[in-house]
Amino acid sequence: MSEFELFSEDELKQEIIRVSKTLYERSLITALGGNISARIPGASEFWITPSQVFKGALKPDDLVKLNLDGEIVEGLLKPSIEWPMHAAVYKVRPDVSALVHAHNPMVLGLSLAGKKLKTTITDEAVLLLRRIEEVEFKFPGTKYLAEAVAEAASKGARAIILKNHGVLGLGTNILEAEAIVELLEAIATIEFVCYTLGKEPTEIPPEEIEVAKKYWGL
Amino acid sequence: MKCYRGKVAYVDLGSGKIEAREIPEDYLLSFIGGTGLAARLVFDLVDPRADPLSPENALVFMTGALTGTMMITSARMTVAAKSPLTRGWGEAHAGGFWGVELKKAGYDGVVVVGRAEKPTYIYIHDEEIELKDASGLWGLDAYEADVELKKTLGGGVRTAVIGPAGERLVSLAGIIFDARPDGPRVAGRTGMGAVMGSKNLKAIAVKGSGRVEVADPARLREYLRRIIPSIMSFPTTQLYATYGTTAEVAPLYGYGDLPIKNFSLGVWDGVKSLEADAVAKKIVKGHRACFNCPIGCWRYVECEVDGERVVGRAVEYESLGALGSLLMISDPAKVAKLHQLCNKLGIDVISAGVTIAWLIESYERGLIGEEKLEGLRPRWGDHRVVEKLLELMAERRGIGELLAKGVREASKKVEGSEAFAMHSKGLEIPMHDPRAFKGMGLQYATSNRGACHLYGFVLRIEQGERVTDLGIHERVQRFDVEGKGRIVAIMQDWSEVVESMGICKFLQISPGHVASIYSLAVGRKFTAKSLHARGTAIFNLKRVFNLACGMSGEDDSLPDRLLKEPLSDGGAAGQVVELDRMLREYYEYRGWSEEGYPRKETLEKLGLLEILKGSRFEAYKEVLEKAA
Repeated sequence: MSEFELFSEDELKQEIIRVSKTLYERSLITALGGNISARIPGASEFWITPSQVFKGALKPDDLVKLNLDGEIVEGLLKPSIEWPMHAAVYKVRPDVSALVHAHNPMVLGLSLAGKKLKTTITDEAVLLLRRIEEVEFKFPGTKYLAEAVAEAASKGARAIILKNHGVLGLGTNILEAEAIVELLEAIATIEFVCYTLGKEPTEIPPEEIEVAKKYWGL
Repeated sequence: MKCYRGKVAYVDLGSGKIEAREIPEDYLLSFIGGTGLAARLVFDLVDPRADPLSPENALVFMTGALTGTMMITSARMTVAAKSPLTRGWGEAHAGGFWGVELKKAGYDGVVVVGRAEKPTYIYIHDEEIELKDASGLWGLDAYEADVELKKTLGGGVRTAVIGPAGERLVSLAGIIFDARPDGPRVAGRTGMGAVMGSKNLKAIAVKGSGRVEVADPARLREYLRRIIPSIMSFPTTQLYATYGTTAEVAPLYGYGDLPIKNFSLGVWDGVKSLEADAVAKKIVKGHRACFNCPIGCWRYVECEVDGERVVGRAVEYESLGALGSLLMISDPAKVAKLHQLCNKLGIDVISAGVTIAWLIESYERGLIGEEKLEGLRPRWGDHRVVEKLLELMAERRGIGELLAKGVREASKKVEGSEAFAMHSKGLEIPMHDPRAFKGMGLQYATSNRGACHLYGFVLRIEQGERVTDLGIHERVQRFDVEGKGRIVAIMQDWSEVVESMGICKFLQISPGHVASIYSLAVGRKFTAKSLHARGTAIFNLKRVFNLACGMSGEDDSLPDRLLKEPLSDGGAAGQVVELDRMLREYYEYRGWSEEGYPRKETLEKLGLLEILKGSRFEAYKEVLEKAA
């Protein structure tokens, strides 16, 4: 790693493995579910988790590097079947350098019950989630899902709910993408508690949100 | 290269010359192994104009690239030659243990040319290759010959033998692997047993004590350990483990896919007793598995029919069709008895069933007179008559002489019977009715060895399976016609890869995983895409061989029954196969001319042009002219 390089690929891979393990331990993905990718900012190649390999204990050698056409640049294992979705988002969002796809049970539960997730119930959600999009069910791994997600991403979303499937966090780095996925689950849990108690979740007053938006330049 | 032994045992039975021949590395890189490598060797060795039963034909046994490695379900091997049944590209496959043993002995394959003066068998043990007198084995059925060889050569030997049908050059004869103790695996299709018989070769016995090395054993083991549990949890894999291929009877009958009464009925009550549970309760006593296979689809049967014991592997989806529903025999024990008889005689179950179904229908319609049948009265549902016909076929006696050449040749001699002679390119149609899955119709018509259900297996795609690794993203409807050309071509080419690797089709493994596994095994990098391109080249090489043998686009055909006669009920009622429409799209996708010849630029792109130009056989020059 040269002195001018801010990000190294080895660190990127270590981060992917850490996040994968964390998500598994938090039950946001199942043993084989979910997938994570990250790239050096601006690069046209990205590292992605492998297909059908236990996500709780990945090793650096398990990861696969692809170009945006899905061709394997490095690595020997089969890349996640969701690579078209990752590549499609990177194509339309130069600001995004990491994607975390998980199967958040609370978020999905609310979504399938027809409850729209409110992003204005905590300050953290207001600041971090900003814009959430939802896409209809498309079969995993297909170009149809990739196209639908890319369209939602191009609207500036930082979180995308994939109906009957899971969520996608879009971050400028992997920590941000991870935080988005975790936060989605956190606010879904909060809202679930409210609904269970028979109450609508109370939102932050609109004028306060305006202040926050101005303050943070959102 | 790791994963291979790097050489074939080359035996010229005419001159008695025996040698170990190196396989050039570029052959391995371009043609992988199994069927791909076999195609390359047949291309080198066999004049397309040669008589398939002459000494000029070469019989090639080729193990899969991954055969004998730690990769599960990779025991499959290919037997290839010019086919006496189709008179074009011939090949058949078998799993089991023989291929693994050959690789342990130090060879990736065996090539047999010439003809021995007297009955002979080949014994290969740890690189030693011996020719032995088989006079004492000649005339024995496949089970007896297997037992004799194992008695003579000792335990641990693995055998490939022909039965009486192969000895008498019956075009439907197959090769029987390790008949005892568990019942055989069979390379049944396209008459490879007859080619073996024409060489006076009764058997090839192998025994080896070496091992197959892979490039990165630690990582390959780790990779397999991690992906196998999820692959094994696929519902279809579980079904195959529980019921074997018999699991398919009920669901495929529901689709109208299981052929009944020579493809003329859509509904039949007899199917109930041929369904997996009924078969399991009545005759299945256990299961067996090929080398290193955790599925174990192979049903072990024990029953008694007409005072005769049926023991071993004697029931599969294909036999429940070809010797069951197709002939309207509804008792699985009787089907098993007929299946066992086919194994002993060394006859392909599918081809035999289809040819006999044709005979029964021809007789019923009055197209074949009593005088030709010597007192036999072929009729639906009578297993005794079928038994007799199988014996006559193997002995080439009476009506058996007509049947021994397969349904295409037989129907040419019986006016008015060609419309229901169920074959394509001379190979009898397997037990999937393409009126239920239209893509299967295109697959049958274009398959290089004739009506083949294994190369493509597109009925899986037509049931909704997607293969995104190969660009199949869409959910495909079974009766649709549009788009099938592309899908059939993609799947046929991938099947070439799978069959070259020696991987079983019952393992639900995606192309990307195959590429990763092969890469770790050979120590070079391959992707699903790069392997698929090799599959396309292999498919086209076989196509060119067929064209050089005198076939043309007109041979990409199906019998009229499938093109013009819809079934009146069942899951595929009212449907016919719109073959012409699919064919046009298929040729275009493949880069072939309207006459079905690969265009020159296609051959060039696939790296085949130079290979064809370099051939010593005249027949390829004509193909090249037409390709331009």
